[in-house]
Amino acid sequence: MPDGTENGLLTDLGRRLVSGSLSDAAIQQATEATPNLAILPWVNVVKIGGQSIMDRGRYAVWPVVDEIVANLSRHKMILGTGAGTRARHVYSLAIDLGLPVGVLTVLGTAVAWQNAQMLQYLLAKHGIAFLEPNEFASLPHYLMERGAVICQGMPPYKLWEANPRVGRIPPQRTDTGCFLIAEVFGARKMIYVKDEDGLFTADPKKDPGAAHIPRISVQELLARDLNDLVVERAVLDLMLSARHIREIQFVNGLKPGQLTAALDGEPVGTVIYNAAVRPETPAA
Amino acid sequence: MSPHQGDAQHVVSRLMRESLMDKALIAGTESPVRAILPALNVIQIGGLSIMDRGHTSVLPLLDEIVGNQHEYMQVIGVGPGVRARHILSVGLDLGLPTGALATLAAKSSAQNAYMVSCLLASHGFVYLEAPFIVQLLPAMLAAARGAVFNGIPPYDLWEHPPAIGKIPPHGSDAGAYLVGEVFGARAIILVKDVDGLYTADPKTDPHATFIPEISAAELVRMKLPTLPIEAVVLDLLMRAKLARSVRIVNGLVPGNLSRALAGESVGTLIHA
Repeated sequence: MPDGTENGLLTDLGRRLVSGSLSDAAIQQATEATPNLAILPWVNVVKIGGQSIMDRGRYAVWPVVDEIVANLSRHKMILGTGAGTRARHVYSLAIDLGLPVGVLTVLGTAVAWQNAQMLQYLLAKHGIAFLEPNEFASLPHYLMERGAVICQGMPPYKLWEANPRVGRIPPQRTDTGCFLIAEVFGARKMIYVKDEDGLFTADPKKDPGAAHIPRISVQELLARDLNDLVVERAVLDLMLSARHIREIQFVNGLKPGQLTAALDGEPVGTVIYNAAVRPETPAA
Repeated sequence: MSPHQGDAQHVVSRLMRESLMDKALIAGTESPVRAILPALNVIQIGGLSIMDRGHTSVLPLLDEIVGNQHEYMQVIGVGPGVRARHILSVGLDLGLPTGALATLAAKSSAQNAYMVSCLLASHGFVYLEAPFIVQLLPAMLAAARGAVFNGIPPYDLWEHPPAIGKIPPHGSDAGAYLVGEVFGARAIILVKDVDGLYTADPKTDPHATFIPEISAAELVRMKLPTLPIEAVVLDLLMRAKLARSVRIVNGLVPGNLSRALAGESVGTLIHA
């Protein structure tokens, strides 16, 4: 292979990266020893559920908006939106038409985008902007100026979404997209606002005997291999390899005060945490 | 008060009110997928292996692509090469996270893809950024039977942190595979500077034997220390609905690409 760089300028790791194979496990391991910079360590990523909050209309959305406004001067927030019932409709239709998962992701993204636009109309008078994924470089400025920004929660994978192991529904949706935003910026918190008090032993909408789980490790949750979950399974898998996000929190947006409590660091709802200890790396 | 007293306002569908995390519901969606562009061939030109070598490697390969333009519809993905390795090095040294590294590396492959599109411009090939692959690819294929895209998928800041280390796991092999899978392409051909897959590195081990065909699951089981293909592609192949194989060919050998397009067994075929 041609060596296209002046090696004297590179670090030891750099020399290996330039001349070696990126699939080499030893080189991958060597990158562990680099610092982990938290780009926005004070930001909180808050995901507003689609079916659980947005689809309920003003009964659910207005109180959540009021709570967001009340927190603008106290906590900086990236607000991502879920998709919800229109995504379920378009997924059903697209599956029936034989379209692949990447096309479903393009379609589902449009629904999360609609919800983000509606949320932005409600917050516009407070100076809150909506940013597309390719505008995220402006995000720190808006957060410093106004305390929050809105984005649609889907990751921008478009046609490049990977197939699920089973079925036809895109496996990485708005829970995953918001989690990855929190991880890449090294956020303070990842909070999911849904319509339940968090995680239960069964679906509380269907099983009155379902017991609330206030705190559980991602390792234990994966080992339980539950038939249903409060969060996309991709988020649990990604938690295991995340560098920054050690826990995620689920609160009930239909109960005023839960979002604020979670932002203030209180253990409301359910916390899923990573029980594994990562080796220390130099701070950036 | 909302008319539904706080109930969600549902659109009627088979998935209405359901949890999309429910295993039974997910399994119930299993059904055939239609190939959107079944005549498409996805060709991935390696960055380090082909592009960085300059005209002696690149131009004969592009001539071969043009020679096949009449017979085969080709969409050309291009990898990033040594500039991505360099920015990975600087970025890692600064402590940047995987998502930032992925965003940066994707600009290097965009440069390579743009250069390839300039060299193929007189034959009608244009470079399409991801949003234009989503919307315009069929029109470009109808006009010129070919187009060029950025091999690295548009995961950007949303790239997955890998289990080990911080190198973005979805590179141009994964991007080319995913384009092939979503369109239901006829073939996915990864053009590199090796003949394909060996049991060991043939440069250092004289006992290395060539593997003409292997399943992704078997290759994962072999746990080879390095692979001429991104590991994530093996994982993706095991979940394939339509694109059930990828072929690795040596683009430094004239005729290999044409043989692969014709369906001959050249290089290594990795199948689902």
